[in-house]
Amino acid sequence: MKKNQFLKLDFPLIITCLGLLTIGLIAVYSATHAFGLEETNYFKKQLSIAFSAVAFMFLVAFLPFRWLSRFSYVIYGLSIFLLILVLFTGNRGFGAERWLNFGPLRLQPSELAKLATILAVANFISKPQIDINRLKHLSIAVGLIIIPALLIARQPDLGTSLVFMALCLPLLFWAGLNWFYLFIIITPFITMILSFNFYAFLVWMILIITILIFSARKPYILISIFLLHIFMGLMTPILWNQLKPYQQKRILTFMSPEDDPKGAGYQIIQSKVAIGSGGIWGKGFLDGSQTQLRFLPAQHTDFIFSVIGEEWGFMGVSIIICLFLVLLLYLIYLAGLVRSLFSSLTIIGITTVFFFHIIINIGMSVGLAPVTGLPLPFISYGGSFLIMVFLMIGVVLNVSLNRFLV
Amino acid sequence: MKETDKYIIEQRRIFLVIAILVAFLFILSGFIRLQVINKEEYVQKSLDNSVRKLQMYPVRGLILDSSGEILVDNRSSFSVAVIPKAISPETLHQLCEFLDINYEDTQQKIRKEFGFRPIIIERDISMEMLIAIEEQRFDLPGVLTLVTPKRYYPEDVNSPHIFGTIGEINRAEQQLFRDYDPGDMIGKSGMERQYESILRGSKGSQYLLVDASGRDLGNYDLHRNIAPIHGSDLHLKMNYRHQQIAESLLTDQRGAIVAIDVKTGGILALVSKPDFDPRLLTGKIIPEVWKGLQDDESRPLYSRALQSGYPPGSTFKVVAAIAALQEGIIQPSWKSTCPGYFRLGRKTINCWNAEGHGTIDLMDAIKHSCNVYFYQLGLKIGLETWSQYSSILQFGNPTGIDLPNENKGLVPTVDYFNRVYGKNGWTRGNLANLAIGQGELLTTPLQMAQLAMIIANKGVYHTPHLVDQIYDYTTGRSVNFPFDTKYISGISDEVYDIIRESMRMVCNGGTGWLGKVPGIETAGKTGSAQNPHGETHAWFIGFAPYDLPEIAIAVIVENAGGGGAVAAPIARKFMEVYFFGRIIPRPVVKKDTTTVVSDSLMQLLDINNIQPIQIDRRFE
Repeated sequence: MKKNQFLKLDFPLIITCLGLLTIGLIAVYSATHAFGLEETNYFKKQLSIAFSAVAFMFLVAFLPFRWLSRFSYVIYGLSIFLLILVLFTGNRGFGAERWLNFGPLRLQPSELAKLATILAVANFISKPQIDINRLKHLSIAVGLIIIPALLIARQPDLGTSLVFMALCLPLLFWAGLNWFYLFIIITPFITMILSFNFYAFLVWMILIITILIFSARKPYILISIFLLHIFMGLMTPILWNQLKPYQQKRILTFMSPEDDPKGAGYQIIQSKVAIGSGGIWGKGFLDGSQTQLRFLPAQHTDFIFSVIGEEWGFMGVSIIICLFLVLLLYLIYLAGLVRSLFSSLTIIGITTVFFFHIIINIGMSVGLAPVTGLPLPFISYGGSFLIMVFLMIGVVLNVSLNRFLV
Repeated sequence: MKETDKYIIEQRRIFLVIAILVAFLFILSGFIRLQVINKEEYVQKSLDNSVRKLQMYPVRGLILDSSGEILVDNRSSFSVAVIPKAISPETLHQLCEFLDINYEDTQQKIRKEFGFRPIIIERDISMEMLIAIEEQRFDLPGVLTLVTPKRYYPEDVNSPHIFGTIGEINRAEQQLFRDYDPGDMIGKSGMERQYESILRGSKGSQYLLVDASGRDLGNYDLHRNIAPIHGSDLHLKMNYRHQQIAESLLTDQRGAIVAIDVKTGGILALVSKPDFDPRLLTGKIIPEVWKGLQDDESRPLYSRALQSGYPPGSTFKVVAAIAALQEGIIQPSWKSTCPGYFRLGRKTINCWNAEGHGTIDLMDAIKHSCNVYFYQLGLKIGLETWSQYSSILQFGNPTGIDLPNENKGLVPTVDYFNRVYGKNGWTRGNLANLAIGQGELLTTPLQMAQLAMIIANKGVYHTPHLVDQIYDYTTGRSVNFPFDTKYISGISDEVYDIIRESMRMVCNGGTGWLGKVPGIETAGKTGSAQNPHGETHAWFIGFAPYDLPEIAIAVIVENAGGGGAVAAPIARKFMEVYFFGRIIPRPVVKKDTTTVVSDSLMQLLDINNIQPIQIDRRFE
C-alpha cells in the first residue's frame, strides 16, 4: 500500500472508534474484575481480540473497492449457508443455537450475516436496472433481508433478527422508496399494537384515513388498505386471546420485564439500580457495588452499560452517548458524501445496525427497551461481535477512501 | 431514481439525523430520570442490595442468688438457619429430611420472610448433626449453622417455676412487642417473662458487605456497627441453698412453700412441687416431652405457690379473730364451750377433736384450733365484716409478686353468695364454714405467707419480690429493686398482740408444736383444709423470731393430713436452715413398742419351739 493511501484514511472515524474501544476495554476490565481469578481472564481475551479486530479493520479498509460489491453475493450465500448449518450443528448456549465451532474458534454466523446482508442488498439496489419502486424489485430487496432474519429467528435469537427487520426501512428509504410504500409497510405494526386500546386505535384510524385521503391514490387501493387495518385491529385481540396464558406471559414479560422481579425483571431492576445509584458523578472505577458484587447479570456483555452508568455516573454516560452520536452523525454525513449509491447504502445499513444495537442495548439498561440480548458495539465483551463491528468500520473506511469512485 | 440530486440527499440526511437525535434524547432522558432525579431512591436500593444489616443478639442477663452464685447462665448451642432468598425448595426438602422436621411447616415459616436474614429452622442440634451439615455445606446452598445462646442451669439448680422458660416469639406476642423480629427469643413464663425487657438487653447491628450470591465480604463500615448491650443481671434476694433445702423438703409431695423476709418482702424460698427439670425446656424442645408435661395429672408446669387457689383451713381463723377483736364483737376473754360438735339448724358439724375442747377463750381456741368456737364466732361476726377484713388483709388481691400469672384467690362476699346461690339461697352454714377457712374461700400459699408477714410486722408489709438488685452492664452499677412498703390501717396493735400471742402459743404446746424452732420463739398457725380430693391439705403459716420477726413462712402439702403433723415440721426445718444453717436433729419420738415385741417373742417361744427340758426331771 502506498503511504499517501494510508494518510487518506478517515482518521476522525478511526479515532472515534478507537476511543469507544478503549472505553469498552476499561469497562470490561471493571466488569470482569469482580469475577476473580478463578474464571477466564476476560479482559486479556478481549484485548487480544480487539487487536485482531483493528487489524481486520485495516485489512478491509485497503481491499480493492470493487471487491466489496463483486463478492457481496458470495459472502451473502456463505453466511446463509452457515446460518442453515448452525440450525443443525449449532452449539447450544443459553437455550439457543448461535455458535459454530471451528476448532478452538467459536463463530456466530448471525454477526457475519449482518454485514453480508447489507452488502448484498446495497449491491442489488444499486444496480442501474433496479427500480426500488417496482414491486418485483422491492420484494427481492426485502426478501434478501427476510431470509437471514427468519433463519436467525429460528435459532431462536429474536433480538438479532429484529436488527435485520430494522435494516429494511432506512435502506429502502435511502434507496428512494416512495413514502406511500413505506407507510404501507410500517403502519400495520402500529395498528396491531394500538388495537388493545380502543381510543388510541380510534385516533390512529382517523390519522390513517387523513393520510390516505391526502395521498390521492386510487379509491379502491385506499379502501382496501383501510379495510386491512380495520381487519388487523379486530383480529389482533382475538389472536391474543387464542394464545395460551404462558405464551401471553412470555410476550408481556418481553414487553415489561419489571412485572416479573425474580425472573426476567431481575436484570432490568438490578441494572436500573446500578445506573440510578451511580448518580451524576458515579461511584468511581472499580467502586460500583452493583458491579463489583455481581448483582448485575451479564454485566460484561449485554449489561456493560450499567457498569459504566454506575461507576462513571451521568457524566460518563453523557460522554459515551455523545461519542456514539458523533459516530452515527458522521456516518450519515459520510453517506451523503460518497458518490456511489452502493457506498451510501452500505454506510446507511451499517449505521442502522449500529444505531439499533446502541439504542436497544442502552435503552434496555435503563428499562426503556425490552431485554433482547443485543450487545453494545465497541463496548460489550464478545469476540464475534467486536470483530464484526470493526469489519463494518473497515468497510466504511474502504468506502470513505474510495468516496469519489462511482 | 438512480440520479438523486443534492437536495434530496440533504433532505434524507436531515430526516435520519432528526430520527437519531430523537432516539438519543429519549435514551438520555432515561438516564436523567434514573441518575439525576431519582438518584436517592436507587442509591438506597443499591445499599439494600449490597449492605446487609445483621442483627447482633445481646447476651441475655443472668440470674444470680444473694451469694452471687449463678443460677441461670447462657451456653452456646448450634442452630441450623436458612437464607430464604438463597435456598431452593429442593435443598430445603433435603435439609428437612436430614433434620427430620416437617417440610411444610418449615416452608411456611420461611415464606413469611424473604430476603437475606437467616431464619433459624432448628435449634440446638447435636454435634454430629452440626459436623454433618458443615461437611455438606457446599451441597446445601443457602443453609448455614449459627451459634445461638441457650439457657444453661448449673448442675444443682432446679426451680423451673421461678426462672421460667424462653422460646421463639409467637404471632400474638409479636402484635404486642413490635421491636421483636420473627424467630427472636422471648420470655414465656416465670422471671424470664416478667423481666423480659431487663434480661433481654438490646440488639446491636452489624453492616456487612455481601455479593449477589449472598456471600459475606466483611464489614461495610465499622463506624456504623452498633454493639449489642448485654442484658441486665438479676440478683435474687434468696440464698439458693435455702431454696434447695426447701425444695428437698417437699420431695415426692405435692405442695408449696413460700418464705418471705418480713423486713423487705424479699422471697427467701418459693417452692412448688411437683416440678420439672428446666433443662427440658431449653434449646430444642422435644414435642413429646412438652406434651407430657402439659398432660401430666399433677400439673408440674403450674406454680402452686402463686397460681393455685386452696381453701386455707384453720390458718384463716386468725382473720376471723382479727375481725372480731377489731370490731369489738368479742373481748379476748369471751368464752365458748366446745362439746366436740356444733348444731346449726338441722345440721351437726363436728369439731376436729371429737371429745371437745371444753369451755375456752379466744387464745385457747386458736392454740387448739377449735372449730366450734370459730363457728360461733363466725356467726357473730357476720359475712360482711368477715369479707371486709379478709380484703383488708389483702386476700382476693394479687400480692404483686414479680412473677406473671398470679392467682388472686377468692374472698366470698354477700354479693358473691347472692349471685351464686340466689338472694336467700345461702345459709349461716356457709358463713360458719368460712370462719374456719373452708367453703368457697380460696387463697394462694403466697397470700398466706403475706398474712404471716402482716401479723409479724403488726400491719406493715412489703410487696413480695424475688429480685433484690439489677446489675446494668452499661453503667456497671447495681440498682436496688424498688419494692413497696405498705401498712394496713384500721387494725390496732392490741389486736395484733393478742393474735401474735395466740400464734406463739400454737407453737408452744398447741397444734403447731412441731413447728417450733429450738432456741427461737416461733409463732404459727396450723390448718387442715378439707377438700374433695381425699385427705386434708396440711397447712402451716408462721413467723420467727417472735419479738423481732425476720421470716414469715407458709407451707401447704396437698392431701397429706394434719397441718400440725405434716406442714409444721417442714416449716420448722426450713427456719432451722435459715437461722442455723442446718436442720437440728431431734430425738425421734417413737411409740414405745419394746414390750409388745418381747411379749410376742415369749409367746413364740412358748408355743412352738421350746422342747421340754428334761434335765430337772432326770436329776429329780
